[in-house]
Amino acid sequence: MSRPVHPSDEHSPQPLAAASGGALDARALDARAFDAIFRECAPDVHAYVISLLGDRAAAEDVTALAFERLYRSRTRLDRRRGTPRAWLFSIARNAALDELRRRGRRPHYQLDDERSGQLDASDASDVGDALEHMERRATVRAALAALPLREREVVLLKFHGQLSNAELARALGISESNAGTRLHRALTRLRECCTDLDRQEVA
Amino acid sequence: MRVIAFPGGDGAPAEQSWAAELDAALSGRVEGPAADSWRELREDVRSLAPPVSPELMQRLERELAVSPAAPARPPRRLARLRALGRPQLAGAVAVAAALAVAVIVVGFGRSGAANRAVSVPPVAAGPARPATNAGKAQAESSAVAEPSVNGDLEPSRSSPSSAAGAPPGRVQQLAASVSLSAAPADVQAVSDGVARLAVRDEGFVEDSHVEVQQHGSSEATLTLRLPSARLSAALAAIGRLAPVSAESQSLQDITNAYDAARQRLADATAERQALLRALARATTEGQIDSLRERLSQSRSAIAQARSSLQAVSQRASTAEVEVTVLGDSHATSEGLTLHRGLHDAGRVLTVALIVLLIAAAALVPLALLIAAATFAHRAWRRYSRERVLQSP
Repeated sequence: MSRPVHPSDEHSPQPLAAASGGALDARALDARAFDAIFRECAPDVHAYVISLLGDRAAAEDVTALAFERLYRSRTRLDRRRGTPRAWLFSIARNAALDELRRRGRRPHYQLDDERSGQLDASDASDVGDALEHMERRATVRAALAALPLREREVVLLKFHGQLSNAELARALGISESNAGTRLHRALTRLRECCTDLDRQEVA
Repeated sequence: MRVIAFPGGDGAPAEQSWAAELDAALSGRVEGPAADSWRELREDVRSLAPPVSPELMQRLERELAVSPAAPARPPRRLARLRALGRPQLAGAVAVAAALAVAVIVVGFGRSGAANRAVSVPPVAAGPARPATNAGKAQAESSAVAEPSVNGDLEPSRSSPSSAAGAPPGRVQQLAASVSLSAAPADVQAVSDGVARLAVRDEGFVEDSHVEVQQHGSSEATLTLRLPSARLSAALAAIGRLAPVSAESQSLQDITNAYDAARQRLADATAERQALLRALARATTEGQIDSLRERLSQSRSAIAQARSSLQAVSQRASTAEVEVTVLGDSHATSEGLTLHRGLHDAGRVLTVALIVLLIAAAALVPLALLIAAATFAHRAWRRYSRERVLQSP
């Protein structure tokens, strides 16, 4: 039985395009490159979309739609506009926002509590560390939920998409300096939120 | 107590260096507590999302057919069309439509010019009542619907040839002149071809003058008499012998002259009948001699009237065509020559340029409209997406 694929399970610290031997940097995605990017990015895209939409069914549909659009636009892929991964996350972001717009509602951050509250022995060497991890996740989740939507989206795109600031800027449709500013502001606010939550917990 | 360490807690560094530091930490190129804390934060954020279920992965593989075993790929050509996208596809369709319109416009323009050069316009149709036999009065009456001497036949003012352009009941005289350009060496051959065409169309060469000089200008002038009903076909055939440099056509209404000649014939015939009746009733030698003398004069009058009517009918039934063949050293000649090839190439390029200009005239405004609409649509879509992210 195949176990669920989690984005963090297959995380690679290197950019995926480089990790795949340059296959993902091809100007036009052939079948092999598309297959590679699908297997490497599908969990991350799904995680990003579900974090943005907060709806599992909608996230699955949007994930499928994003890959379909990537396939259709594979011949127009231009290396100057970023890696296929950045292209894919840009497509996924647009598809997710279109989904929200179609539903006429704003995104909400309502992820599964079971995951964030789950005690995973494999994540830590002992129960104490596991508890600390669990509490950290709960704090981060609360801090993310407290962020304004625009800043939360930047954090999700940065961490799930693993995009550089330039790619982030292209995905957001803003300049690179603006993207850096927005990301800096979002992470600063996230830090402040986490600190505030810590203080409230201590108090 | 939970401690969530964040780098740069004592104040944010400059954004540029901060971004570089962040990217270096996330990519694992930098070690240390700060880099570790960035990576831990990323892992915490990523771990919040629920995992992808195997069912979803299988579904995506099915839908996207990414499995190597599944050859469910759209055909290459279809995929290329799909990859074009709607704006590009619409643009391609618009370009094709504009080119088609331009070709049609140019084609109509050129065919119209050709018609003007070698064919007869509708108003210059054949004569209303052509006379085919001028020698015999009876035949003339039946052929051109001329009234008989007894007046028992009314003339038919409409004929098949006149129905095309001439108004019914009118008698018209046609004339045309054509100037052809030919190579000096071809003037004689073209002139011979014109004469052959005249004979073929049951006409004749009334007058001709051909002057061919070895090292000078060559020219030929021919005056043709052709049946009016075949004027259009004859001019078209002449136009195929050599390029037409000029053409003119004229039409003259001779209905009044025709009616007057016919009336004179009818009057003379009626007078002869009256004289014959008077002769039958004459009793004295003097009356008989006087009536015979008048009958003799009447016969002369009838013959003169008939001749006049025949002349008018002849004018209506035949058309005079003046053909001038000019020896032009720049004119195209038969056979494949470098000059002719260059000339044809120039014409092709000219037509292509005209097509492109017309297409551009249609495409530029269309492209501007499409670009404006596309820009507005994209701006609106982006605004709509960003509006979703705006905080309430």
